[in-house]
Amino acid sequence: MAEEKTFVDDIDRSRYDFRNEDGESFKVEEGLTPAIVEQISREKNDPEWMREFRLHSLEVYNNTSMPDWGPSIEGLDMDNIVTYVRPHTKMSASWDEVPEEIKDTFERLGIPQAERESLAGVGAQYDSELVYHNVREEVAAKGVIYTDLESALHGERAQMIREHFMKLVPPTDHKFAALHGAVWSGGSFVYVPPGVSVEIPLQSYFRLNSPGAGQFEHTLIIVDEGAYLHFIEGCSAPKYNVANLHAGCVELFVGKNATLRYSTIENWSKNMYNLNTKRALVEEGAKVEWVSGSFGSHVSYLYPMSVLAGRGARSEFTGVTFAGAGQNLDTGCKVVHNAPDTSSYVNTRSISKSGGISTFRSAVVVNEKAKNSKSAVSCQSLMIDDVSRSDTIPAMDIRTDKADIGHEARIGRISDDAVFYLMSRGVSEEEARALIVSGFAENVSKELPLEYAVEMNNLIRIEMKGAIG
Amino acid sequence: MELLNVRDLRVSVEDKEILHGLKFTANRGETHVIMGPNGAGKSTFGNILMGNPAYQATSGSILFNGEELLDMPVNERAAKGLFMSFQNPIEVPGVSLENFIRTALEQRDHKRVRLWEFRKEIKRTLENLMMDESYASRDLNVGFSGGEKKKAEILQLLMLKPSLAILDETDSGLDVDAVRTVSRGIEEFQKDKDSALIIITHNAAILSQLHVDRVHVLVDGQIAAEGDASLIDEINENGFARFEEGVNGNG
Amino acid sequence: METIVNKPLANTFGWLNVNGTKVNAPDKMQQQEYELEEGAERTIIADFAAGSRISAKLGRNATLRLVQIRRGKEEDTAAAAGNLSEGGLKGADGTAVNDVRVKCSEGARFEWYRIVLGGEATYDNCTVELEGDRSSFEAQIGYRLGGEQVLDVNCEAIHTGKKTDSVINASGVLSEKASKLMRGTIDLRKGCKGAVGNELEDVLLMDRTVRNRSIPVILCSEEDVVGNHGATIGRLDEDMIFYLASRGMETEAIYEMMAKAKLDSVIRRIPDEEVRRGLLEE
Repeated sequence: MAEEKTFVDDIDRSRYDFRNEDGESFKVEEGLTPAIVEQISREKNDPEWMREFRLHSLEVYNNTSMPDWGPSIEGLDMDNIVTYVRPHTKMSASWDEVPEEIKDTFERLGIPQAERESLAGVGAQYDSELVYHNVREEVAAKGVIYTDLESALHGERAQMIREHFMKLVPPTDHKFAALHGAVWSGGSFVYVPPGVSVEIPLQSYFRLNSPGAGQFEHTLIIVDEGAYLHFIEGCSAPKYNVANLHAGCVELFVGKNATLRYSTIENWSKNMYNLNTKRALVEEGAKVEWVSGSFGSHVSYLYPMSVLAGRGARSEFTGVTFAGAGQNLDTGCKVVHNAPDTSSYVNTRSISKSGGISTFRSAVVVNEKAKNSKSAVSCQSLMIDDVSRSDTIPAMDIRTDKADIGHEARIGRISDDAVFYLMSRGVSEEEARALIVSGFAENVSKELPLEYAVEMNNLIRIEMKGAIG
Repeated sequence: MELLNVRDLRVSVEDKEILHGLKFTANRGETHVIMGPNGAGKSTFGNILMGNPAYQATSGSILFNGEELLDMPVNERAAKGLFMSFQNPIEVPGVSLENFIRTALEQRDHKRVRLWEFRKEIKRTLENLMMDESYASRDLNVGFSGGEKKKAEILQLLMLKPSLAILDETDSGLDVDAVRTVSRGIEEFQKDKDSALIIITHNAAILSQLHVDRVHVLVDGQIAAEGDASLIDEINENGFARFEEGVNGNG
Repeated sequence: METIVNKPLANTFGWLNVNGTKVNAPDKMQQQEYELEEGAERTIIADFAAGSRISAKLGRNATLRLVQIRRGKEEDTAAAAGNLSEGGLKGADGTAVNDVRVKCSEGARFEWYRIVLGGEATYDNCTVELEGDRSSFEAQIGYRLGGEQVLDVNCEAIHTGKKTDSVINASGVLSEKASKLMRGTIDLRKGCKGAVGNELEDVLLMDRTVRNRSIPVILCSEEDVVGNHGATIGRLDEDMIFYLASRGMETEAIYEMMAKAKLDSVIRRIPDEEVRRGLLEE
């Protein structure tokens, strides 16, 4: 059964080793230097303000300490941060280098060869580029802008980007936000004009395959008054990247009475340190809906945050986390209620298996101004075996009396009765357990477009293979 | 003597109109039955009378003893003599049934209730309802079965002695024993000829034993028919189909 | 003496400032140690001390009930006048620091009854190790705080024995500028097969200036266990208010009644008749 596992052992460190054969040589120094950041800025053809922003972020980065809570990130070689930032400008990963386990998973998920290669971060962009192009044409007709962030910095919305870029997640937020500010690269920019409803979900999936992208990418989405957008990030296939640090940043601005649904199925290869920061600012009467599945990575710190800034703003968070062998996934969400009549709902499931560690971590803050606010958090955890670990660490900070705050958490195992029941109807034990786990994760799969839900269930089935005996 | 006079009452829940211009009167000493299929607005009527903030009257008036009830706080309505038995009585941990009734009496009447007399009366009432004495010291509705909750509502009805009692589906889902207690309680309440009773129900089983003055059939938020107790038998036999056609036919 | 108390087993986001609390603790802590033999049963009504450290080892099937009541004013006054027993010295700024640590052998049971009605600031740690199979722990914490009173609790049930059972129940009322921080941790460690941990919090907030923080943690590294947590924080449920108002009660009276009920529900569990009656009448 070993070949069924998708676990990827830490890749040989020599792979990261800095090569300076292409003339753009940097000396490996102990830390990240202004020279390196300047160099990135030059290559990106940044506007002046962005260059300064990067340098400022670098300063913050060098003066900020590592988090003193959460899973260990000792495996990250912070002294040689440069090797993460610049694994190599002309990364020439080839399909042959992609680990067999990942290729197998593609196979079982039924992903076509061309996409497999682009998902693995190698090769050119095949069919997906064409699809991406078509999507752009369609939404552009409504005045929607959907483009990569770098070219948008020089486009007609340059000023808008300047006004929003890292205003929600300032570099001072934490060490990896600062790192992101200094070295960000790639990502999407979406602007939906007032009143426009984008019927098809936009998928960043089509854009994540340029060399080195998906490592420090920045997603900036602005949904104007009364507009609607569903944005889908990633897909169920494992994303493979030779550099194992991901410090992306997502900033969502949801205007008055607008709705933004942001769905993610994250499945980084299992050597990845995923230190992603996602945040939404939700104005009066607006709503953000997070749908989040975390399956990949070696270590994750992921807590999408909603700032409910206007009266009646709402946030919904639906998440599932599946931690298997060698994984320590610390996920959850944060909600800050800053205005009256705001509400937040959180519904999460986590699954721990084969020594995996999953932690649900949350914070709900209800400030003085947030009169008549409601918050309900529900988290459930499933332990598949007794070598795994599942922690639940929620926090609530309530500073007004006019609030209704509810929280419930439950931890348990797959009921033997349920397994017996399914087996009595002719299902194998393995299949029965996979079915139960899929059912447990239904809170998320039912919120996803069908093809993603199917992929997610396939993923669970693959992860559950060999779970018994 | 007229106790309740409802005119042109329109009621909405979450911006959806449920009652479309209701007219209803009741006199002291009378027992009224409101019947109708599920979703007709029966409970809405009970809740708007009692003042449930989830229900909004958009027009009309409710005169109780000549006084307008709309906009009156819930507890004042109770002080004026209104009582509703809830379909789903709320669990109130930490407050015993006995303590609660005493507190409610003191609050409503603004005078102290003498403990000894009160205890005697609650004991007598419990006996009357064939309820175990231990009920009095249990936390209000906490861990009560469906039947026990309904019995506790009837106990409160008899202890608080309102002048208008609304029983909202008090009979639904009860076992034989609980139905007997509830019927006994209603009969006891009916003895007071200064009071009126409105029984909201969708099944007629409990009514066979009771004296009923007037029956109102509520369909789609409107009174589809009114009559004396004989209407109950007809509904028992034929259901609501005839009335539903009538309402739908009128558009 | 400045020190950090109430450090939880698991840290969380630094910006919440809940990974331990810095306090100005009394210089002298009153130490008490108990060792209960097999099958012994004991109820201790602890005297107030501004600084107290209580530790206990419970033998097989032994039961210890610890009742600690913080009334506030009179204790602080007595402490100031030097009328309290050894170690019962007044803490700086009316601060009381209390640290309880208990180990349970097979079948042993520890019950902690903690009522906080006054005092400027109260810091409570209670860590119970359920080492023996079928050992159990129950914490009943009740409080009613107003003014600028502070209550900061760290309560931990560490399950290592099989079929161990823990209940952490905290129920209380905050008004004016009172502030409460409740950390409750159920730690279901490897090997504690069949263990059950339950944590429940119920907080009624009476004024818009209060602050309530709740950190209900479940840590789990064993499959065959059950851990539950539930919390209700805020004002009274609208349906409940309507129900009670429909029986003739004013909103204010409803809040007063429910505030009393919340505290009484904890007080009623106190195993000592005299203490219980005294508190209920207060």
